Amino acid sequence: MEIQLYNITKRFGEVTANDGISLDIREGEVIALLGENGAGKSTLMKMLFGLYTPDEGSILVNGRETLIDSPQKAMSLGIGMVFQQFNLVPALSVLDNLLLAYPRPPFWTFRRLFGEGASQQNVLAYLEELAPGLDPNTLVRDLSVGQRQLLELVKVLNLNAKVLILDEPTSVLPPQEAERLWGLIRKMAEAGRSIVLITHKMQDVMACAHRVVVMRAGKMVQALTRENCSEASLVSLMMGDSSQRSDIDTHRDPDLAGKPPRISLRGLHANHGVQSIDNISLDIGPGEILGIAGVSGNGQHLLADALVGLVPLSRGEVIIDGVVLQSASRAPKTSDRVAYIPEQPAVNAVAGDLSLTVNVALSHFRQLRFFPAWGPEEEKTRDIIRRYQVRPDNPALGAGQLSGGNLQKLVVGRELEGPRDLIVAAYPTMGLDAGAAHDIYQALFTKAREGAAVLWISEDLDDLMSYAHRIAVLQGGRISGLFNPDQFDRLDIGRAMTGEHLPTADPAPAEPQARIAS
Amino acid sequence: MTITTQPAVRFGLRLLRGPTGAVLIMAATFVLAALTFFAINGRESISLFQEMVMGAFGDGYSFSETLVKTAPILLTALAVALPARLGLISVGGEGQLYLGALFGTGAVLAAVDQPGWLLMPLMLMGAMAGGALWGVIPGLLKTRLGVNETISTLLLNYVGVLLVSFVVHGPWKNPNSLGWPATIEFPQGAILPQFFDTRVHMGLIFGVVAAIMLHILVTRSRWGLGLQVSRSNPRVGATAGISYERNVLIVMAIGGLLAGLAGIAEASVIQNRLQDGLASGYGMTGFLVAWLAGQHFLRIIPLSVLMGGLLASADSLQLYAQLPKASADILQALLFIIVLAVASLWPNRPKA
Repeated sequence: MEIQLYNITKRFGEVTANDGISLDIREGEVIALLGENGAGKSTLMKMLFGLYTPDEGSILVNGRETLIDSPQKAMSLGIGMVFQQFNLVPALSVLDNLLLAYPRPPFWTFRRLFGEGASQQNVLAYLEELAPGLDPNTLVRDLSVGQRQLLELVKVLNLNAKVLILDEPTSVLPPQEAERLWGLIRKMAEAGRSIVLITHKMQDVMACAHRVVVMRAGKMVQALTRENCSEASLVSLMMGDSSQRSDIDTHRDPDLAGKPPRISLRGLHANHGVQSIDNISLDIGPGEILGIAGVSGNGQHLLADALVGLVPLSRGEVIIDGVVLQSASRAPKTSDRVAYIPEQPAVNAVAGDLSLTVNVALSHFRQLRFFPAWGPEEEKTRDIIRRYQVRPDNPALGAGQLSGGNLQKLVVGRELEGPRDLIVAAYPTMGLDAGAAHDIYQALFTKAREGAAVLWISEDLDDLMSYAHRIAVLQGGRISGLFNPDQFDRLDIGRAMTGEHLPTADPAPAEPQARIAS
Repeated sequence: MTITTQPAVRFGLRLLRGPTGAVLIMAATFVLAALTFFAINGRESISLFQEMVMGAFGDGYSFSETLVKTAPILLTALAVALPARLGLISVGGEGQLYLGALFGTGAVLAAVDQPGWLLMPLMLMGAMAGGALWGVIPGLLKTRLGVNETISTLLLNYVGVLLVSFVVHGPWKNPNSLGWPATIEFPQGAILPQFFDTRVHMGLIFGVVAAIMLHILVTRSRWGLGLQVSRSNPRVGATAGISYERNVLIVMAIGGLLAGLAGIAEASVIQNRLQDGLASGYGMTGFLVAWLAGQHFLRIIPLSVLMGGLLASADSLQLYAQLPKASADILQALLFIIVLAVASLWPNRPKA
């Protein structure tokens, strides 16, 4: 099956997400759509999958102009898409999930009465091919992220897809599983399918693409065959001439580098829900940006919550400038000297139905008078709105009316206001476009140079490796590796992320004995 | 020229589209429904409705009786509205009212020989403690064990009512009452002050003052802001140092305390003793009023008066039209349904 996208344009309000893009998708070929977040890759493919319709241009399937106005239509044409967000029911088994996604699923499976039915054989055929060892009766919630992704892939293959669109498939995978996926992609292409790989990672391109289409800011920059491109050339194409990465100053003030650590985590243990952290000991110096890498769900949120004082420690303590901030022996407490910038601010950082002014005032709630004076608070909010270019710029608006990027700018502005000893940033740029992410990093790292210690949790290894001063890897709630810049190596860090080896670089901490200031 | 171009008409129409219009439609619908209800019962609708209004607000005496019924409704409505500002749905006003009466009476019985200046504060403090206890228990169940506060307050109502029943049938029964299940009569020092030779008592003042204070505290103070934040996003509140758990206990305690005052006022002024059937459903009426008022403390005051009037006029319905007393309950339910239905139809609906 051949597909041609011709001169496709898509606008959202004033933003042009795709600007006159033409693209051929040929049988048996892997195309990598390469670009930064917000370059318009996903938008383009969502039009092919029928989630959006183009404002201009046309889509030709096997030479005939075709209107794809719904995912059902796309699937009936043999176009399938695997999204970043998985669409699985965790409480059901692998088999049930596959049956659910099957066209015309049997109304009544009689699985337990009649054993293996014919339809189950069909449903499971691809699963056996892609993941031979996987028991179809396993519950989805017990699967690893990589296995879930395979399951999503099987769902799409079951629909007889000839064209497969994979949206950032390796972003959630540790390097080893990503390699496996690359192999599968190559195999599927050999079997005659076409694969479009939406990605912003060079490794994906180099590992399995036949052709690379680079997009930037809604435009197609260039299409190349893999033989004709190098990683370096792709990076410059993707980022444009003024690479945004380079203009963020992450240098540590050399005067600060020699100083003793500001923040010490001593043997932290905590349990909350299904997550736990186990014997975490780290020091962060003044002005230092310590990156925490890891596949999500390995204790990152719990670590952040415990530092901020939302979750009690079961052992260990957190010491700031020699003073105990959190300790297992007393109730957790939040502090105005600790800034917290979580992901998805709408959920984690603001009260959506209250005004921006109120939300800004939350950062110093304890210092408000019993009957707060709102004039100065509003002034403060206006100031943050101005400096961080928050839109719309009305402090009386409800926080829920702002977009994620603008809201996060407001939160960053709020959290970095005034003196801070520790800044905890947990996936602060998740879901934001490149421009907003850039502004947020810039603000964060500027604040760090004033002497605050930064603990920065991210799952984007590229970002971590380019910005962080050191990287600690969290795996299964433990620190499984601690890397200095000269040791930054994708594979080494990746191994630590999967827990392949537990280095001895992090010796067991001495029994905590901190001075408790009165 | 169409009629709508005239400024006065345009202003009128704009007013109608706002909350004022909603309230007018609610009132009209309710009057219509009440008239229909009377007609179905084969009564002279209009004159009966007039009689009802007169029975509630017609003269000094009937208005004073309306205010007598207003006091417990107002207090129990506040006991619902305050937790609602934190997103809690408490239906425990009735039980808190009974517990207030129980503890207040306990204080009276324990200090029955003391002079009034000591007896009265003891009684009020006992009542507040009892009501607060019946608020804090569901609060603790919620914060410690995650028990739904609506269920626990609902069930504790029965416990409260039956506890009173138990003491008046048992340990606290007046031996000289010829088997009538009630405590001894309250001494003069334990009767709350009344006004103008009517049964209108201090409880009404407590309620109005509490409503105004709560309004100021919740809308203007840091504590009130904390409630709003906790309600909107408890996690963010916790990050800012606002304890949702502590606020749950505080609002449940204050709410219970107010309902407890209503209970002791009924026992002290209206019944002069503690006995069964103390409150005849004021707790539930308070719940309705709080929701009709959209949990707005100041709106609760006039609505409580209206509802008090409705209950007071039930007596005149009985006398004049020989309609059963349950008619008042039916009218009350009609009012509630109409208000909620109209409010949900309105584009810019008043918050309810």
